[in-house]
Amino acid sequence: MNNVVKRQLRRSAKRTSLYIVLVGIAFIIIFPVFFLFSFSFMSDYETYSEWPKPLVPSFKANFMIDKNTEGYHLFIFNKSEDGFMPFGPLVFANNEKDIDSLRKFIKLQSNCKISSQKIVEYLKVVDNNSRVEFSIKKDLLANYILFFKVVNGAPKAVLNSLMVAGATILISLSIGGLGGYAFARYFFKGKNILKLSVLFVRMFPAVSLAIPMVIILAKMGLYDQPLGLSLVYSVGQISMSIWITASVFMSIPVSLEEAAMIFGTSKVGAFWHVTLPLALPGLAACAMYSFIGSWNEVIAAVVLTQFNPTFPVVVYKALVGSQGQINLITAGSVAQALPAIIFTLIIRKYIIQMWGGVKV
Amino acid sequence: MATLELIDIAKRFTKKVWGVKKMDLEVEEKEFIVLLGPSGCGKTTTMRMIAGLEEVTRGTILLDGKDITDIPPRDRGISMVFQNYAIWPHMSVYENIAFSLKLKKMPGAEIKQRVQETADMVKIGELLKRLPGQLSGGQQQRVALARALAVRPRLFLMDEPLSNLDAKLRVIMRTELKAIHQQTEATSIFVTHDQSEAMSMADRIVIMKDGEIVQIGSPDDVYFRSSNMFVAGFIGTPPSNFFTVKCEFKKEKISLKHSHFTLEIDSIGIEELKKYSGKEIVLGVRPEDLLVVADDKAVFTEEVLVVEPQGSHQVVALNLSETIVKMIVSAETKVNPGDKIGLGFNIKRIHFFDKETENRIPLISEA
Amino acid sequence: MRPDLPAAFLSGYMMTITKDQLSLSKETRKKMVPYLLIAPVVIYYSMFWLFPVLNAIIESFKDVDGIWTFGNYIHIFKDPVFYEALSNTAFIVIFSVTIEFILAFGLALLINKKFRGSSMFLFLAMIPMSLPAVAVGAMWSSGLATRGWLNSFLMNFGFIDDASKILFLAGGKMSTMLLIIIIDAWTVIPFVMIILLAGLQGVGEDVREAGAIFGGTKFQILRKITIPMLKPTITTAMILRIISAIQIWLIIVLLYGFNRLPVLLEQVVLNYDQLGAEYFERIGLALSVVVAIIVSAAAIFYLKVSGSFEKEEKQDE
Ligand SMILES: Nc1ncnc2c1ncn2[C@@H]1O[C@H](COP(=O)(O)OP(=O)(O)OP(=O)(O)O)[C@@H](O)[C@H]1O
Ligand SMILES: [Mg+2]
Repeated sequence: MNNVVKRQLRRSAKRTSLYIVLVGIAFIIIFPVFFLFSFSFMSDYETYSEWPKPLVPSFKANFMIDKNTEGYHLFIFNKSEDGFMPFGPLVFANNEKDIDSLRKFIKLQSNCKISSQKIVEYLKVVDNNSRVEFSIKKDLLANYILFFKVVNGAPKAVLNSLMVAGATILISLSIGGLGGYAFARYFFKGKNILKLSVLFVRMFPAVSLAIPMVIILAKMGLYDQPLGLSLVYSVGQISMSIWITASVFMSIPVSLEEAAMIFGTSKVGAFWHVTLPLALPGLAACAMYSFIGSWNEVIAAVVLTQFNPTFPVVVYKALVGSQGQINLITAGSVAQALPAIIFTLIIRKYIIQMWGGVKV
Repeated sequence: MATLELIDIAKRFTKKVWGVKKMDLEVEEKEFIVLLGPSGCGKTTTMRMIAGLEEVTRGTILLDGKDITDIPPRDRGISMVFQNYAIWPHMSVYENIAFSLKLKKMPGAEIKQRVQETADMVKIGELLKRLPGQLSGGQQQRVALARALAVRPRLFLMDEPLSNLDAKLRVIMRTELKAIHQQTEATSIFVTHDQSEAMSMADRIVIMKDGEIVQIGSPDDVYFRSSNMFVAGFIGTPPSNFFTVKCEFKKEKISLKHSHFTLEIDSIGIEELKKYSGKEIVLGVRPEDLLVVADDKAVFTEEVLVVEPQGSHQVVALNLSETIVKMIVSAETKVNPGDKIGLGFNIKRIHFFDKETENRIPLISEA
Repeated sequence: MRPDLPAAFLSGYMMTITKDQLSLSKETRKKMVPYLLIAPVVIYYSMFWLFPVLNAIIESFKDVDGIWTFGNYIHIFKDPVFYEALSNTAFIVIFSVTIEFILAFGLALLINKKFRGSSMFLFLAMIPMSLPAVAVGAMWSSGLATRGWLNSFLMNFGFIDDASKILFLAGGKMSTMLLIIIIDAWTVIPFVMIILLAGLQGVGEDVREAGAIFGGTKFQILRKITIPMLKPTITTAMILRIISAIQIWLIIVLLYGFNRLPVLLEQVVLNYDQLGAEYFERIGLALSVVVAIIVSAAAIFYLKVSGSFEKEEKQDE
């Protein structure tokens, strides 16, 4: 009996320590990503006027208006100072022009929407009571909307990125898939050398490849075109696709194909009816992997685009160009990261399988 | 060289799945135990618990009286042939066999000699340099066997070590293993699905079903004194035939009434059946205890369904009211499908089972 | 052949002949299949890789007027910044690859066990590898800034006060490189771990159990069974890592801008960035060639040291 208790204790101690380590690791992974998301929902005021910065974005902002002989004053609640701080124009009057600029200021700085009418109402209250406090719900997505509005050509850049990714998937999966199948199912002279040289392709820096490609693509009329960019991306993605699809095909036993052949189909038929359906999830995962690679790439795109930048280029230029506006940039980054993260979530089951047979 | 005691051990994999439900077993020194049972009954799980690869959910394992339940496999002084071989693909046959000897820091020359010796024993002496990938299934299995034999353990666990060998080699290896056992005297536990292997090798056979032991006994015990219908219906090729009969006592005679025949036998020596008078019991009859007899002496006659020649004998199957009855007939007897033959029983070798509990009805005459 | 045979039969006969002829070359055709499957890859790579690469190499040996010269390379090898970039890169590569491998391997061993929530945990681990480089840059630059989230976090929980804010990005060269190594590790460890984990699952539990039965301690099993069996996977992971580690630069530029911590590829981009200056562009090309040679040399060196070439020969036997 004592034995059983001891054993259970030991087991749960082991289990607990495993989970403690796992939670620790999960924390290290989540921690920075959390702040990336968190910042993207913060208003300018939260980002730049509160110190230390809040860890989570607030859902509303509290304001106060009071009045002295000079005119009205606007205050905003500052969490780090734990009190109301002056906000916006030092004094303003109850006229259309002042109130309109005040409204715009509130929207820009605190991501809160308020109508001029409402401000006038509050001012009336101030006239009677000498001050008024009110809170407004924050527009959480304001940074995202603003990012796509202010950053030149962001919506079109998203479209470009999608086209580049689509073409890259098509090229790399069809060409790489054939190669992967050959590597998985056939023995032929030079297989090892070929497999290694596929890897060697990645040894020439992608940036360095992009420069001579400018001239080549220009000659083909594809410079600054999504298709041109996808031709360059496919160089790297084909080699990944070869490795991954080879791994996927290797995980499907040849005997299944042989069985289909015994039951009356040709080699091609066996591939079509047996191998392909079984490989489909793996191939889909491979396609999404290509998507992520192409969607995230930035430097070759900087070199190879001019008027038709991809989305990462837009975000990159925003990040490198302007040193301020970090909340806006994080919003752009999150917008860029989200599709990649979602696709990863979808293919997570297959990622291990994808790498299962990948060996030098 | 060691005694092994399993005290109430059990293994639960998930809420619903039990690998082993309850197991009590005492193995004596030098004993050769064979675990027998249908697929999935928990044989491998039992072995893995003894080896320390699987933590027990409940119970205690004693080796030489010492509690080894919680000590790691390497300190248990055991050796094992895995059901799926588990030989190391990156090591040559030699390295596979030498692995544990090297870890024990045995001198190099001695290792070499031991490896060669064991490899020769299982007839893979020529393959020492090969990698497992370059061997056939049966050869791989012999590597697994040699690796386990090289250790000279106190307790030797073998999970279907001969399953992949050809019939001839299997019989040779059987003898070889038996000889090794006599020489090394290592207490052994052996799993097999081959009943003749079990019968010929075992000191005692442990028959398992659904994670529990149903009978422990010598080969003769389990064959001639099967403790219940499961054992009688599992042991033997083909296994026992069962007939449900109504039991009626008439003075010195018992009449056993089946829907197709009535059997009258002397009640001397089987008085224990008296309490079943008027009730139904089950007769267990081994195929070799069904006899072809002249029609006038026959208990019943039936048409032959199938004849399966086996060389030394033949198995004849009959269809008796929707149940297949199988009997063994000598090779010389001429039987063809469709023939009507008369059948008799070797009365002395009939077994009686309680219909409700399916347990054997113990008879004084046997004791 | 009888002339009175119906035409249909005849044509059937003819067909058999052609089929026969085909089946004669069947052996050859069969041998051709893998090469046909590989052909598109080879064609694609000669057009969009080999051609531009050769182009780059040739141009790197020419001066602005198109005259053959070693001038571009001489310029590089005379430039002290090149040597600084080289040593910085070497430092970062050696430490980051080593640390990443050890941690990733440990992690892979840890989560190779089945436990509740393992699929969720794997997804979490995959997030860093799916994040775009620019997002990673934005994340860390917003975090490591003096008024970034890291200091905010520490202040909010009272670890530091306003006066003792940590100047993460203002450190010396050593701390800069350490920071880069840590950030790189955060980004890359999951990727290495996934590859190793995939390999580990291929190794299987049974061979390790056999190791335990035959007297191995946990460490001996790891050293004599798990790692040798995992070697091809380890090589893959290491090669992929070495290749991309030497090409590190973007995160450095996103955090520090150019020229603060020179590394090889950053210098290439820097030269390109001097737009219009064709002279620098050529130096950039030459530097690219140098980087490619260094990457290849490192990869080959690793393959040699790890004995992967021997294995190949063994297989070919
Ligand atoms: N790791 C596991 N997880 C869950 N269930 C398991 C596991 N291993 C075995 N089982 C279950 O436990 C039961 C006993 O399995 P075990 O392998 O011991 O059978 P066995 O008697 O060796 O069968 P066989 O003769 O086919 O080898 C089976 O029902 C099996 O499905
Ligand atoms: Mg088993």
